[in-house]
This record gives sequence, C-alpha cells and structure tokens, in this order.
Amino acid sequence: MGKRLLTICLLLAAFVQSAVTAGELSQERCSELLSTLKPGKDAVWRSIPWRLSVLEARAIALKEDKPVFIWAMDGHPLGCV
Amino acid sequence: MLKTSFVPVAIDQACQRRQKDAEGEFYRKIAGQGPRGDFSNTTQGFYIATAAGKLLLYNNNRDPEKLFRLMRERLREYEFGSHPFDRDQVKAELLEASNAKRDPRYTLRPPADGLVVRVHAKVLGGYGKPISDSEASFQTALGRDNLWVTAEEQAALVKGRFPEALQRRIARFHLVDNTRGEPPMWKQDEIRKLTIQLDDDGVLTGHVELGTADGKRGYRAELRGRLAVAGKSVTGFQLVALGKFFGEGRYTRNAPKGRFPLAVTFDLADGSDIADAVAPQGARGWLAGYLK
Repeated sequence: MGKRLLTICLLLAAFVQSAVTAGELSQERCSELLSTLKPGKDAVWRSIPWRLSVLEARAIALKEDKPVFIWAMDGHPLGCV
Repeated sequence: MLKTSFVPVAIDQACQRRQKDAEGEFYRKIAGQGPRGDFSNTTQGFYIATAAGKLLLYNNNRDPEKLFRLMRERLREYEFGSHPFDRDQVKAELLEASNAKRDPRYTLRPPADGLVVRVHAKVLGGYGKPISDSEASFQTALGRDNLWVTAEEQAALVKGRFPEALQRRIARFHLVDNTRGEPPMWKQDEIRKLTIQLDDDGVLTGHVELGTADGKRGYRAELRGRLAVAGKSVTGFQLVALGKFFGEGRYTRNAPKGRFPLAVTFDLADGSDIADAVAPQGARGWLAGYLK
C-alpha cells in the first residue's frame, strides 16, 4: 500500500512538474530563451565586413581596387528575410 | 575570400530596385544586366560587379561550392585586368551621388534618441523529420529583426509606462514566425488581445492573442521580461514571448502542422553588430506606419 501510494505521488509530482514547465514563462525560462535565441559571436556571417549600401561598397571598391559582391534578398539578409 | 578580395554588401533588394536615388540607380544598373531586369519583380541573388557597375556574375544558386567556384573565376578575371574602367569617371559619379538627395522612403535611420532592440524568433518544436539539409536548416533557423523605439516611448518607459503604440508595434510587426522567410505581419484588427504591463520593479508581464479572420494563422503567447533604467535612459530591455503559433504565410511555407511552440526574444542592441543598423522589416517603405 505504502509503495503504491509513493508511486502515485511520484507520478503526480512528475505530471505537475511537466505541466508547470510547459506552461509557465518563469524568469529562468526567459533568461534561457534570451541566451538560446542569440546568434553566436563566432557565426561565420558575422565575421564578414558587410556594408549596407551599394554606393558605400562602390566607393570602397574603387579605393581598394576590388569587385563588389552584392547579396540581395527579399527582406534584408542581415535582418528579417 | 569574401573578406579579403571583395567588398561585400548585403541589401534588401525590394528597396534598391524601387529606390529613386543614386543608390537605387547604381543597383539597377548592375541588376539590369542580369536575367532579373524586371524591377517590378524580385531581383534577389548574388551579384559581382566592378566599381563602374559592370556585371561580372549573377547567381541565385544555393550550392556554396558552385558559388565559390564562380567567385574565384570572376576574381581571377578582375585581377587579370579583364574589366578596365575609367576611375576618374567613377570618382566623379560618386562625388555627385554624395551630394544628391536620398529617397527618404528607403533611407531609414533609427529614431533620434530612441532605442534599437534586437529581435530573434525560433520554432521550438513540432517539425517532422527533414527530407533535405536545406529543410533541416530552415527547421532550426533563427529569425532576426530589429524593433525601433521612439524617444517619446523611451521617455514613457523611463517613467514606468509601457506605451500602447509600442505594444501594438511589437505585436503586429515582431510576434511573427520569420524563421523560414519573409512573414506576413499582423493587421491592426488581427490583434485580439494585448497587454504588456510594467511594474515598479521593472518587471514586464503580458499576454497576446493574434489571429486572422479566416482562422488560418494565429499566435497566443505569454510575455515576460525586465526593463532597466538609469537616469533618463533605458539601459536594459529584455522581453520574451512564448506561446503556440499556427499557420504560415506565402513565403514561410512548410511550418509544422497544427499548433507549434514559437519563442520571440527582444534584447537591447549595443550597436556592436552591423545588423543593428538594419531597419525593421515592418518599416520597409512606410516608416510612419510602423511607428504610429
């Protein structure tokens, strides 16, 4: 009887715990999500010296004698795309 | 190679192909030489061009090996001197452009004395097994955007009030699933419920319910966060929305079936990332509408 009651209590506790975890946006969960949803500083695209204006790129290309590489998307490649 | 041998530039071509100024003209000069010269439609892709605007390559292939090979070939041609141009002429054109007016619809700057807040979104589950590497990358992708806050709104936040216009902006333009492409934003009347409260300790709590009239797309989420203030400035702005999303847009196909968990985070930008200078997607061509 004691063992059965203990099992039921443990199952109930696990259920309550999982319900709380799924439904509650605690400060800890916020911190975890803020940290998880952050691009790493070592992400390759962040290491590229992107310009945001083709005219600015044109001026640098002239000065440094290099071709311009344009990444043109629907939506900004460095923003919402 | 991109860092050292090219001048890389990233743009939302929906602006440059419409922009009525030197920036738009130079882009259209380049893009018009490629296969996507109809500027009423998308011109997206990768372009390589000389400073004079001569197109050396257009490519819209997702195969990095192929693109890398084409970049190497065009660079070799360029360095060999196969594409000479009149440098004085380009210099003169640049000088003229620097003195000319920019098209204000597409030359957006963050509000003076306002805030830039980085926004990230992620689908936390619900996808089936991906059938390709490309699909797998979409399923794990992080959506990015920036939220702009006006000086007046910052002043209200400092005084402990979360402005309604800012609440609406967050809901309409930033509580979206932008992890697989350009998302549809919410219309004003698609905000069913929205509250974001700020207490005396700087704790933010709220709730939002968004949904289209046809019931095909919606998001219901809790919000929680923290605001930090020093003097007349907001020094910390962290907010998280966590809830269930359903549906997809024309350019965000292949969402998980049914309701799926979507998290959206907001964190004050520090200006250290070039992406901090990118205008919010919702402000494209209509800043006043975004900020109202």
